[in-house]
Amino acid sequence: MPDFIESPRTACALAGALSTISCLPGVIPIIHTTLGCGGNLANAVAFGSGYLGGGYCSGAQAPSSGVTETEIVFGGAERLHEQIRNTLELIDGKLYIVATGCMTEMIGDDTDGVANGFLDEGEPVIAVSTPSFKGDSYHGYEIVLDAIFNRYLPRAEHKNPKLVNIFGLIPGYDPFFRGDLEEMERLLTSLGLEVNTFFTPSQTFENITSAPTAALNIVFSRVWGKTLAGRFEQRHGTPYIICDLPIGPEATDEFLRRIAEWFGLDAGHVIERENRIFYGYFERAADAFCDQDLKFYAITVTNSNYAIPLARFLSRELGWVVADSFVTDKLTDEQKAALSGDYPLQFRTGVQEIARAISKNHPNSRGRRYFDDITPLYIIGSSLEKRTANARGAMHLSVSFPVYDRLITDRGYAGYRGGLHLFEDLTGRIMSLKG
Amino acid sequence: MGFYEQSVPPVRDTRLKIGDSYHGNACGLVNCGRDGCLLQKNRGFWQANACQMALTLMMAATVENAAIVMHAPGGCGALLHSLSVQSAKGKARRGKEPKAVPWLSTNLTEADVIGGGEKKLLETIKYADREFRPEIIFVVVTCAPSIIGDDAEEVVRQARPQVSADVVSLHCPGFRSRVVASAYDAFYHGILRGLELSPKPWVDFRPLPQGSPESELAEKNYQFERSRTVNVWNATSIGPVDEEEVRRLLSALGLKVRFFAEYSSRDELRMVSEAALNVSMCNVHDDYMLKFLEEKFGTPYVIAGMPIGFRHTRQWLVSVARHFGLEKQANALADYEEGLAREAIGPFVEQVRGKKVLICGGVVRVGAEATMLAELGLDVLGIRTYHYDDGAEPVYEDVVKNLPDTPVAVSNQLFELTHQIKTLKPDIVISHNGTQGYIAKLGVPSVQLWNVDSAFFGYTGIYQILRRIVFELKNTSYRDRLSKHVRLPYKPSYFEGDAFKYIKD
Repeated sequence: MPDFIESPRTACALAGALSTISCLPGVIPIIHTTLGCGGNLANAVAFGSGYLGGGYCSGAQAPSSGVTETEIVFGGAERLHEQIRNTLELIDGKLYIVATGCMTEMIGDDTDGVANGFLDEGEPVIAVSTPSFKGDSYHGYEIVLDAIFNRYLPRAEHKNPKLVNIFGLIPGYDPFFRGDLEEMERLLTSLGLEVNTFFTPSQTFENITSAPTAALNIVFSRVWGKTLAGRFEQRHGTPYIICDLPIGPEATDEFLRRIAEWFGLDAGHVIERENRIFYGYFERAADAFCDQDLKFYAITVTNSNYAIPLARFLSRELGWVVADSFVTDKLTDEQKAALSGDYPLQFRTGVQEIARAISKNHPNSRGRRYFDDITPLYIIGSSLEKRTANARGAMHLSVSFPVYDRLITDRGYAGYRGGLHLFEDLTGRIMSLKG
Repeated sequence: MGFYEQSVPPVRDTRLKIGDSYHGNACGLVNCGRDGCLLQKNRGFWQANACQMALTLMMAATVENAAIVMHAPGGCGALLHSLSVQSAKGKARRGKEPKAVPWLSTNLTEADVIGGGEKKLLETIKYADREFRPEIIFVVVTCAPSIIGDDAEEVVRQARPQVSADVVSLHCPGFRSRVVASAYDAFYHGILRGLELSPKPWVDFRPLPQGSPESELAEKNYQFERSRTVNVWNATSIGPVDEEEVRRLLSALGLKVRFFAEYSSRDELRMVSEAALNVSMCNVHDDYMLKFLEEKFGTPYVIAGMPIGFRHTRQWLVSVARHFGLEKQANALADYEEGLAREAIGPFVEQVRGKKVLICGGVVRVGAEATMLAELGLDVLGIRTYHYDDGAEPVYEDVVKNLPDTPVAVSNQLFELTHQIKTLKPDIVISHNGTQGYIAKLGVPSVQLWNVDSAFFGYTGIYQILRRIVFELKNTSYRDRLSKHVRLPYKPSYFEGDAFKYIKD
């Protein structure tokens, strides 16, 4: 079957690059494509990532060479040069990243050459190659961070033994990236560590420049950011560990023990305190949760970063029965293999394709009296799964890109607080039907 | 060979005198448009915007029972998630089934970019047909396949006999024009070449034996009905409330009103030929289509601005009515409606008089809106239009007459908007969707130039626009506070100089 995609749940490498840059403090994109790409791709996360919106210099503020037919025929290097020069004059930034799109890659513009000309003059300008035909938004994230950390920033001369960098969550394409990062930062800080999350409002450009001195990189993805962390280790000598994003106390206890052990610290007091708080809330909700029979079959439809953490929380913490876990990002066989383990995953992307797989895996009763259908059912996926859920009479919560039926600010599902939030959101959907 | 015979539509830049970089006043703009100096203008600094593909998709996503095949690398369709939601709402508001638009991407990879993506396109079209059984499959041809020279037209030709849907190609590569409005032509070009626009016997009507009394009577009935039927052409910014206002006014003149082409189905589009008149609601939307329909079916058309404000609404109504010999009635209707509306807006006019306003967005709408608000006593500090082309000339001749000294800029650029807001210091900005957040961050009150949920056209529109301005000014605390915490990306020195310093001749 050819690799066309129905309703892709990602966009192009350029989109991922722009979404990533838009959350990096002091970093300015210069989009080397038509004027349209920047606006259209910003729309993908400004709408589809819980209304992430525009940042300091993203969306319709992002500088763009705006190539037209003239440049396609005669080359766009001159236009790009002028755009960079004027961007440096007009836009206040600490690092400028030229990101290419399909058409300027196809005509073979020497984007690196133009950027290097500025770099040689001492201007902080680098270029990345991000055409759609080379990869999707997840790749765009890796390409940008690779350029910053493994190409632009000098090798670390010393190490800060308490500093960790966090990688693996993709701004925009992991819609809860900010809340998740905040919670991870909170917990790691309570262990006595210092944390670079890069993408949350608390971060500054100094978090980027200090990254090479980190003692450890934590990658919250079995798939994305691994190559980046490997190259980081080669360049800066910082080792990395790969963890699933911990959701809820069961997973977070384990995560904190693992990190504490790595640093030779004791996580006991943090875990004890956090559990006391979590269960202080969780316990009181048990009356409603149990009296109202809020036990569900669950089907998850998410990207690879969230699939396993979510299934684990639902089954271990809530005691739900996970019937299917669909992973929607386009993965290589090697990447799929990295996800194998306790939770059987199915790799599909199209809305229709997934809806059909659900029907096939779990046929409905067709009027039969004695039939074990999977009800009550909760589908936890993207907003696109809403119609699938409605058609089946299932509950539905959007947690994976695209999410456009809720607005997200600092909400996250990782850690202890995130576990409570996810519990609250899942049950909140049910409570909102009352009255 | 005329434009309509070509498989790929012209962009506006080749069809019209057009521009997107200008500042001065309306008189200068009209002259610059006429003598072609507008064509030479450009910028040395640009910010990202939209492209003709975006607007083409906005229109295509509204068509009933359609599926969209993006012939593109994986990223191009990203905004269809939001367009699909928007169009589902638009369908619901028009009493149609609010189905999401299925869409697929051929997801061109490096190998396809080198080896061509035609085979993949055919497979994708066939899959879309089989899986979703749409009535229409729009094949959207973007930059990458246009540059590598994929013959999408040939693929569409091959696909047609193999699928049950009508296959319509929409050529809208962004690099071919910086002007987003080119999308209207790209969309209509696909419609006029790919779909039937006149009724089919036995499907849409039952042919009667020639010369029978039954047939003669039916024919007379039909022709009478047809002679009173107008097609009104909507697009993107014109919501159901505005359509209802237009329907209300034209119905009062005894006309039967149908809206095309957004939110129409394939079957409805076959009725396009069956009207006495095609009516535009905006000079830069549909001249391409209306001229085609005149050529093909002999249907005359009226392009008479946008029905916004008392003067423009009357002018628009009378222009339509003139075709039917109903000018007197139209004027009487306008007199009556104006009387009611003027009384209703009285309290609002008191509250907005003298307020300084900056107006930004689509070329015809901002022209009409500016003269309307000036007539109601507001102080128009400036007009910013996204593009300018010949089609808008009548509207800007009117601006020349009514607001000869008002600064007019052709700009869709946020940095220039930011500069103008900071230096002109408007009390309120009326601006295109997509800019509201940026204006709020500057701490300045603003209202939408259009949104498809509210009224802007006709008499209802006048009342509602003023009501929204008054509502906005009732409490500006949100933006006052927000702006204190937002840092702009522009260096302060820019605001000390000329807003338009990056425009080049």
